[in-house]
Amino acid sequence: MRYYFYSGEEEFTVEISQKMSRGVVKEYLVNKRSFYTRALAGKNFGSWDQKSWFKLLKSPINKSTVSNSESFKIYRGYKPSGLFSGGAGTLVTQMPGKVVKVMVKEGDQVKEGDTILILEAMKMENEIKTSVAGEVKAFNVKEGQAIEAGFVMAEIE
Amino acid sequence: MSKRILIINRGEIAIRVAKAINELGHISVGVWTDNELEPPHLEYCQEWLHLEGSSNGETYLNQDKLLKLIKENKIDAVHPGYGFLAENGEFAKKLAKEKVIFIGPNEKAIEVMGDKATSKQLAKEAGVPVVPGSTGEIPTVAEAIKIADQIGYPVLLKAVAGGGGKGMRTCFSKEEVEKNFETVQREAQSGFGNKALLVEKFILNPHHIEVQIIADKKGNVYHAYERECSVQRRHQKIIEEAPSPFIGDDEKLRAEVCDVAVKLARAVDYDSAGTVELIMGEDKKFYFLEMNTRIQVEHPITEEITGVDLVANMIKSALSEELDFKSQEEIKIHSHSIECRICAEDPISMLPAPGRVTALETTFPQGVRFDHCLYPGYEITPDFDPMVGKLIVRGLTREVCLSKMRNALKGLLIDGLKTNVPLHKVILAEENFIKGKYTTKYIEEIKPQEKVSKMEGEEAFMIKAVSAEANLRGELG
Repeated sequence: MRYYFYSGEEEFTVEISQKMSRGVVKEYLVNKRSFYTRALAGKNFGSWDQKSWFKLLKSPINKSTVSNSESFKIYRGYKPSGLFSGGAGTLVTQMPGKVVKVMVKEGDQVKEGDTILILEAMKMENEIKTSVAGEVKAFNVKEGQAIEAGFVMAEIE
Repeated sequence: MSKRILIINRGEIAIRVAKAINELGHISVGVWTDNELEPPHLEYCQEWLHLEGSSNGETYLNQDKLLKLIKENKIDAVHPGYGFLAENGEFAKKLAKEKVIFIGPNEKAIEVMGDKATSKQLAKEAGVPVVPGSTGEIPTVAEAIKIADQIGYPVLLKAVAGGGGKGMRTCFSKEEVEKNFETVQREAQSGFGNKALLVEKFILNPHHIEVQIIADKKGNVYHAYERECSVQRRHQKIIEEAPSPFIGDDEKLRAEVCDVAVKLARAVDYDSAGTVELIMGEDKKFYFLEMNTRIQVEHPITEEITGVDLVANMIKSALSEELDFKSQEEIKIHSHSIECRICAEDPISMLPAPGRVTALETTFPQGVRFDHCLYPGYEITPDFDPMVGKLIVRGLTREVCLSKMRNALKGLLIDGLKTNVPLHKVILAEENFIKGKYTTKYIEEIKPQEKVSKMEGEEAFMIKAVSAEANLRGELG
């Protein structure tokens, strides 16, 4: 799963996948580095080496976060079009997946934040949202379709 | 007999006051307003009253509405906290008329100390050194220049009714006085509704030293030593410590400063908790600035070094009860203490940044006190002061406090809004602050805000992402 942090000026991309869990400790691959999490006494801890642990904030997903003087929006699983590559109004897949559900059709009016389709990737369902408002000019996928990374799913103007 | 005490305040101070009321066996009555539906202070209040309205003018500052609420709910006493009606003599008078106890000093003390000109006059008469300058309002530029020539430049032009750093200008020459006079008058008129100005000597490299006073209704006035609050931005304190590192081990100077404060408090028949603020130049000469007739934001550091519960004793004093001590000798400095004000503001520009707390975790070393009003989901609106908490450490020495504070700041995790925690981290690692060598010009001259990184490194974002993912998968506790 990819996480995108976007502040308007700065952006970070973090790629996460979960490995087989061993008991109380969960292992993730975070930008190809192993990271471990563990719940303990109602708190949550993280570690890079399973020796040195630090407290984790239980932040809600798909919201926002603050880092010192910058506020970031968090996008999970999709790169909002208009913010990154792909150009304004173009929804591009970031990883291979299967279209589970289609929420709009060509000619529909959408507003910012509307879910356009649901994409299953890495065994997770992800809502693909638009970051621009406008009319769906082109809609290139149908339910059940398997698509490759970099595929233009929709164009909104 | 237990009293019903209404707290006309919110945020961390309402919590602090409610705790003291409950400890003393009285009934703490809190209020909530329509623009803050989940105020955390109610958790500590035994009774909750609805103070209808949204703006502060309709609620915390609306004397008629408050008096009605007080009568309807058979309130015996009122604690105003700080800000709002804490230093409003008119409100204290109205309460007295209704036979409701105001937890604060007598009305005369509030009135005399609330006016810069009369308080300065009183200080002079009591033999307390005051900053050289005009004794009252200066109506014309010519007169301002005449006085400035007598006392020597630089001089400060300031509003008689001013405060919080607003309505004042430093002038280094006759030309600057001419240039600034009308501007400050206009600022005074628009900010305080009174254009009267004062002229006084501007103290170079000053230290803000203040003395805590606690007095009862029988004429006993005690001090609880000094605090140094020189780390300020926009004339507002952000770090305070006690005892003052500038006074250091100069016990003669410490005694002098404290004696002067007691003398002044006696002169105004002071009978509650209050603070005498002094300005001390690099030559260690000090002058009276003003007296705050309320419990102050930074009172905890004095509580930490002396062990005196100032809020509880302030309530005891108002109820004409015995204080926890019977002589000045019983109040001693046992340790050192530092406080960092935690504000919802940008750590670099230091401007308020309202927002919603999305997550909060604390891991503190021993000897830390966190007086705050934060919880996940808490919204900080632009209606109130951006200060949302005070991180206070106590240690036997200043060095111990510095190390505890660094640890405490590291263990204070807040997400969802900008805070000045990164700025405090920079200051606590800065050479001059570590040495205790700082004046009120510290932020201006050392500029620690410029050393705050705009954001954390990539690893911090990796941790944020994995926390969010683990949370989503239900793997977090």
